[in-house]
Amino acid sequence: MNLNIVGKDILRVDGLSKVTGKALYPQDLYIDDMIYGKTLRSDKSHAYIEVDIKEAEKIKGIIKIFTYKDVPINHYGVVFKDHEVFCREKVRQIGDPIAFVVGENERVCKEALKKIKVYYEEIEGVFNPIDAMREDSPKIHGDTNIVYHYKLKKGNIEEGYSNSYVVVENTYKTHMVDHAFLQPEAGLAFVDKENILTVMVATQYPHYDREEVAAALNLSQEEVKIINTNVGGAFGGREDISLQIHLALAAYTLKKPVKAIYSREESFIAHSKRHPLIMKYKTGADKNGYLQIMEAEIIGDTGAYASWATNVLRKSGVHATGPYFIPNVKVDSYAVYTNNLFAGAMRGFGATQVPVAHEQQMDILAEKLGIDPISIRMKNIFKKGSVSATGQIMLESVPIDRCIEEVVKNIGFSMSVGRG
Amino acid sequence: MKKKGVGIGISFYGIGYGNGFPDVSKAVVRLLDGGKIGIYTGATEVGQGSKTVLSQIGAETLKIDSKDILFICEDTSLMPDSGTTAASRQTYNTGNAIKTACEKFREELLDAAQRELGLNSVSGLTMEKGEIYLNFFPHKRISFKELSKTYKDNPIEVEGIFTAQTVEMDSETGQGAPYWPYTFNACGVEVEVDTLTGKVEILKAVFAQDTGRAINPKLVEGQMDGGFAMALGYALFEDLEIDKGRIKNNKFSKYLIPTAMDMIDVKNIIIEDPENTAPYGAKGIGESVTIPITPAILNAIYDAVGVRITEIPVTPSRLLKVLADKA
Amino acid sequence: MKEIKLKVNGIDYILNIDEDIRLIDLLRDKLRLTGTKEGCGEGECGACTVIMDGVSVNSCLVMAFQADGSNILTIEGLEEEGKLHPIQKAFIEEGAIQCGYCTPGMIMSVKALLDKQPYPSREEIRKGISGNLCRCTGYNKIVDATEMAIKYIKEEGV
Repeated sequence: MNLNIVGKDILRVDGLSKVTGKALYPQDLYIDDMIYGKTLRSDKSHAYIEVDIKEAEKIKGIIKIFTYKDVPINHYGVVFKDHEVFCREKVRQIGDPIAFVVGENERVCKEALKKIKVYYEEIEGVFNPIDAMREDSPKIHGDTNIVYHYKLKKGNIEEGYSNSYVVVENTYKTHMVDHAFLQPEAGLAFVDKENILTVMVATQYPHYDREEVAAALNLSQEEVKIINTNVGGAFGGREDISLQIHLALAAYTLKKPVKAIYSREESFIAHSKRHPLIMKYKTGADKNGYLQIMEAEIIGDTGAYASWATNVLRKSGVHATGPYFIPNVKVDSYAVYTNNLFAGAMRGFGATQVPVAHEQQMDILAEKLGIDPISIRMKNIFKKGSVSATGQIMLESVPIDRCIEEVVKNIGFSMSVGRG
Repeated sequence: MKKKGVGIGISFYGIGYGNGFPDVSKAVVRLLDGGKIGIYTGATEVGQGSKTVLSQIGAETLKIDSKDILFICEDTSLMPDSGTTAASRQTYNTGNAIKTACEKFREELLDAAQRELGLNSVSGLTMEKGEIYLNFFPHKRISFKELSKTYKDNPIEVEGIFTAQTVEMDSETGQGAPYWPYTFNACGVEVEVDTLTGKVEILKAVFAQDTGRAINPKLVEGQMDGGFAMALGYALFEDLEIDKGRIKNNKFSKYLIPTAMDMIDVKNIIIEDPENTAPYGAKGIGESVTIPITPAILNAIYDAVGVRITEIPVTPSRLLKVLADKA
Repeated sequence: MKEIKLKVNGIDYILNIDEDIRLIDLLRDKLRLTGTKEGCGEGECGACTVIMDGVSVNSCLVMAFQADGSNILTIEGLEEEGKLHPIQKAFIEEGAIQCGYCTPGMIMSVKALLDKQPYPSREEIRKGISGNLCRCTGYNKIVDATEMAIKYIKEEGV
């Protein structure tokens, strides 16, 4: 293919504005007469609440304090609408939004946050997804904590084991981490001259934000506009709604521009996390190192809200085999509610965790069989025409062999049998 | 004692929403005043370089300089919905929508040129560097700029739509075609483990990433370095330390992400194997670049000191404990 | 309120400020020099790095009144006569930018480093920017850009 521009290191189109400091992020926006908002968040993991804003409202400079009572439609969420704009009667995690204080400046807003009285009636919480799966565990939403169960079955499990010369069984655990993008959430909302409610924010999906803002305020989508400023990193952490609805509600109600900026600490409790996974793996191979069976049970802690949990744990399940042809496979992958911080999208989306298991399984099998880690992989990797565990044909563009060969060639030492 | 070890990790990653969900991207291409080309899509620039890469796809298709493209992706009232900027899907999905739109746009421009030049057909019309001319009589020639004046009140505009093909999986057996396409990669690392302190240092790293085709190799390398760093933090030290739903490490003085001192120079190798359904063969790599590094480090630690770490992060205290348990 | 005098990007200012505001607040809220970013508010991320009397500082850790009488350089003051500083140019060319939020602070740290030490090794560059967090680039292209900037500075005699 004769290409002129594709394949060239064209300089970033946004480079100049970013090296000169001219690129604007939401915190960099200022409008005359703008007022400020701050969020009151739950300090308890699981509790019934009653909120008293009377004292706080009296503070000079406070314009309005928004609670669930002020929101036309109080629910949102990327897959299930299980998030509340402001918690009505129950908080499910630390950091849950309870109220949004709007005042003349940030200082009075902070003062008002301290004056809002929240009466917490604590409920037993559950913080381990295995406990949360039990029928008698405290429920976060509805009558079960199991949000999703993905099932994958291919071939014959008994046959897989009987064809195996070695079987390796281990349980692997990954932890909850944060996107830690450098730009904390911020935004500015106002009603423009044409009466369009405008929210300026840094987001991964402006059309989704528009849909959620319009839905929560009971407006048509034509009445709402999202302007995406420069985005200071995302990695999945800007897929869920954070302050968009709060700002829009305040600007729409008060007919004034409203700005909010999260501190780093608030950013940490306000957005999603990477799902921690518990991965129970059983992998078998024949004497020659060809994989015969893989059985996996994967349990993902999605915290207090589902966010993308169904899609994340589905992705874990589909990618549980690694890029290997295995004739007999069984996977059960679960997403489970707990009272931990909610987990959602993060770079790799469920496929990042499973190689912690399958790649160590491969090395352990190799060592037991006296094969080196490269050879066992080369024997089992997908090739053009391979069939995945879900029955999908890897039709083309499957250069995993070349990836491995290049690594071996360039690392400058032999990848031989484990020395440990 | 300091011990060295090597390890490899490999992975695959399916692009897109997947599982039969309609994964749609739209792009609008419009002839602007002055002959520039406007591309309007909902694909968000989050730092990964999509504005640059998607402009390159448009410029390549229209055979113009990417500087002649005005790329608008910021305002929902101006641009169509191109789905979320996630799932490594924008280069593939919106790239395809832009390519389709630009191909249609090219035909519209040729039709307009035929009309303006008073020709019998579009046969022999060549589009190059913002001009359209008849290849065997180049005197017949009109620029985008001239066309934009003629069509000022009714700008030439087309929309391109791309919907990725996936098949929903069976709810009992999981059989189906959940994603397409897939990208592949492999990472090899050499580590040094200090058995007294439990500290793991990365000495060397080689990272090979399948891109289908790299639209902009330097941006791909930037993703690979960034993905490596994020995975390094994931494997060795990033930890929120959650206790009964409360984060202990809720600020950067406690939640440690890699600094320039933690990173090393990674030998990045871009593997190309163009994918037919992708724009110029390019698959998305934004997420897959984070995936094979952590297992490579874990396997290298085993090679160095002979212990399997089944729980991450491999903090010094965890590693020392596992070493003590083994001894 | 307190009156302070300071020079920012070559311009003299006399300002009345609240005593509890930080230098970053003065730069951003008062002077609208928003190229200086806040990422953590505790001096850990370096996004707010500016050069104060020749030394790089986290402007979130300096109180505005402490800047009385000082000479401050921010990212907005780096271009000269509309021409990019060699570090800015090198950052664009070497692909050292992704989301861009750390970029201004990072460039100011590189500037402070090269002012002090014109020919640092790669390791010294890494050390010099280790107070600036970047979540996107993995730093390597920033180190490359710094090496390129060293070359440009030498060529141009800046």
